[in-house]
Amino acid sequence: MAAVQTLPRPKAYDDTFWKPITLWLTTTDHKLIGIMYMVTGLLSFVIGGIFALIIRLQLAQPNLSVVDHETYNQLISAHGVTMIFFFVTIFLTGIANYMVPIMIGARDMAFPRVNLLGFWLVPVSIVLYYGGFFTGGALDAGWTGYAPLTEKAYQGHSLGVDFWALSIIVWAISGIMASTNFLTTIIALRAPGMKLTRLPLFVWAQISTSILLLVVGAPLAAAMILVEFDRQLGTQFFTTQGRPVLYQHLFWFFGHPEVYIMILPGFGMISEIIPVFARKPIFGYMSMVAALFGIVFLSMTVWAHHMFTVGMNTYVEGFFMLMTMLIAVPTGIKFFNWIATAWWGSIEFTVPMKFVFGFLATFLIGGITGVYLASVPVDTQLHQSYYVVAHLHYVLFGGSVFTIFAGLYYWFPKITGRMLNRTLGEWNFWTLFIGFNGTFLIMHTLGLEGMPRRIATYLNPAWGTTNMIITISSFLIAFSVLLFFINVIRSWHGGEIAGDDPWQANTLEWATTSPPPPYNFAKVPPVRSFMPLRDLREAGEVPAEPEPAPVPA
Amino acid sequence: MERSTYRGCLDAATFSFGFYQRATCGPESRTSWRRYTGAVKAGSFTRLWPLAILPAAFLLGSCEAPGGISPIFPSPVSPNGQDIYNTYIGISIPAIIIFLGVELSLLWVVIKYRRSKQPAGYIPPQVHGNTRLEWAWTAAPLIVVLVIAGYSFAELQKDFQPVSSYDFEIVVSGHQFGWNYTYPQGFTIHQEGTLAADVTPFVVPVNKLIRLRIQAVDVIHSWWVPAISGKTDAVPGYDNFTWLKIDRVGTWRGECAELCGVGHSTMQIIVKSMTQYDYDTWVRQQENAQPATPSASPTPS
Repeated sequence: MAAVQTLPRPKAYDDTFWKPITLWLTTTDHKLIGIMYMVTGLLSFVIGGIFALIIRLQLAQPNLSVVDHETYNQLISAHGVTMIFFFVTIFLTGIANYMVPIMIGARDMAFPRVNLLGFWLVPVSIVLYYGGFFTGGALDAGWTGYAPLTEKAYQGHSLGVDFWALSIIVWAISGIMASTNFLTTIIALRAPGMKLTRLPLFVWAQISTSILLLVVGAPLAAAMILVEFDRQLGTQFFTTQGRPVLYQHLFWFFGHPEVYIMILPGFGMISEIIPVFARKPIFGYMSMVAALFGIVFLSMTVWAHHMFTVGMNTYVEGFFMLMTMLIAVPTGIKFFNWIATAWWGSIEFTVPMKFVFGFLATFLIGGITGVYLASVPVDTQLHQSYYVVAHLHYVLFGGSVFTIFAGLYYWFPKITGRMLNRTLGEWNFWTLFIGFNGTFLIMHTLGLEGMPRRIATYLNPAWGTTNMIITISSFLIAFSVLLFFINVIRSWHGGEIAGDDPWQANTLEWATTSPPPPYNFAKVPPVRSFMPLRDLREAGEVPAEPEPAPVPA
Repeated sequence: MERSTYRGCLDAATFSFGFYQRATCGPESRTSWRRYTGAVKAGSFTRLWPLAILPAAFLLGSCEAPGGISPIFPSPVSPNGQDIYNTYIGISIPAIIIFLGVELSLLWVVIKYRRSKQPAGYIPPQVHGNTRLEWAWTAAPLIVVLVIAGYSFAELQKDFQPVSSYDFEIVVSGHQFGWNYTYPQGFTIHQEGTLAADVTPFVVPVNKLIRLRIQAVDVIHSWWVPAISGKTDAVPGYDNFTWLKIDRVGTWRGECAELCGVGHSTMQIIVKSMTQYDYDTWVRQQENAQPATPSASPTPS
């Protein structure tokens, strides 16, 4: 079997990869659109990462001036906007776009053309944002863009803020399109037998994410439209004479659920991957679903915990503190269920499973520091300090990025038909794990020592060594990401041929060929539980597939 | 193995939810699982030694400070700062216990349940859930966070209400880029933003409860001296209040903590506390230098 050199991939699908640009502009295949989303996301990851490295060089020692202060402010804003809006959210939309229809046994999304339009709004949004750099300077008020700093009186020298606001409006429209599409697809196009109680947890996670984005996307667009009114039509919503704190309420009503939009699909992937490699069913399926919706509900009642220092009534602060801490409960349920799934298991530590455990070990730290930050008195010390930067990176890097890598290593064989190289994958994981913790673990101490975030430089010599360690570790992360891209490029055409089901998985996407044909399934397999493929395998109904090629020595 | 398989089947039979339709126990599921475990290649496992680097890096990062700066706040010098510090330590007790518990159980899973450590042909028990256990780990975190929230709320009510009895009030006004401090006597100290080390200090007497009325004239700033207390935002349009009561003579540094423009990192704060006698002398000097205006304006002219 090792002699087989050609992939058993359906010709029609393979052709589409190298067809002219018109196909990419006009395809309505959810898989191609998903790939476009994922590639866009990964390119943004590289761009945002380069911004981060420049920021780290600037902060490596006290009083450096690698870039000037204005450029620095634009870089931190661009880093945040790129990573949050253009990398994590977009990539996760892409992987869901690819996987959700196959996992529920559908042939495409419910609205294929809306899907395509939703995708092509993303590059429009990205180009609009970076266009700001050519109008005299992009957004320089942080990714949150707090008014009144973004108002004409303080940011009148460039159109950067206008381009940012327009970009975010377009992004929100795209997100609303994608969410509507996901919800309709999951409700209307499930295969026979795929009851709601048998949906894979990744699909449940996508339902909750889509609900969140539908609810909070519109207030975000509203906030941006009001900013534009202020800047271009002379209204006074958020100006110095207006109510700047209102902007913060509108922004964070989107901004906090956005954190869950970026992590819930990751939770879904973890819930898919652990059972496969531990050879056990997920522990507490129903409580996992309940926890997802607990998080959805609570995440919309906590936004003001980003604003504990603006001077609110202490009872209002107490309410938001309590709701924020309550999120630890559903998150805790998910954590304990994951551990219980692995407990007594027979765990194979493949690369995706390593990333899963990397996620569990690091995301826990982000969750615990979140409880400190939720406590109002403690938050007044930690707020807007490097402690918060460390916390949010534990949540979004240790959380989202680790799950993204887990998902990529897990589903790459399905998407391309070839495995990612395991040795490079191990190196990728360990360098990322060490580099990530080296960067962000000691960053907590900077915040506790009183270093505010978003300062272009600092004078205190006592912070120099810590910052230097952080900068060196951040380059280790960059090296790790480089390894990942080398792995992807090498494996795309030269990787070990995966076969239909290299992991002996449970869900329907592994029941079709790798990569799947344009309409996903020749015949939609029967669904008898939430692990339909395992049922088929045990009942002996999986058609005899070619043996996977032996591992090259 | 035999025991745990049995227990798993028992659990699945007793507690699993109604909609699980697969038979999870019985001879055929066992053989099929043996087939799976046999089919997957046993991989080579990277040893866990790189994990040891992390605590080392953490220690290296936190022990470097020559001036006694530890990975906790600079020693608080004001009662409200001390209370925040105490709350931080209080939360740390359950936080550290939970952190260690979860990380150790993860480590246990990694060491104990990896396939290479399991007997050949091991079939994991097909447990679908355990309602009692799931309720237990819903209730336990709930109790912990309710306790933490109650404890924090008590501290919030104690120190974060606008104080009504105080010795005197100073108006702190933030602008791009610097701070103005207007004293009850009518003079104003200008603490202009700079990246040099010598910032005009904001002078207060020791052991006096001073209320700070915090304002902003252009964009949002945030007044933060870590050794004294938490941040208070300076927001245009309304006044915020905080207070300090420094218990010793000394100098404490801080910075603006809300991104306020290109000079944000220059908005340094130096607070200098003096004995009452020195403070009175200092006040007389300031009054001679800049005669009091009839109505002390909080905003710079």
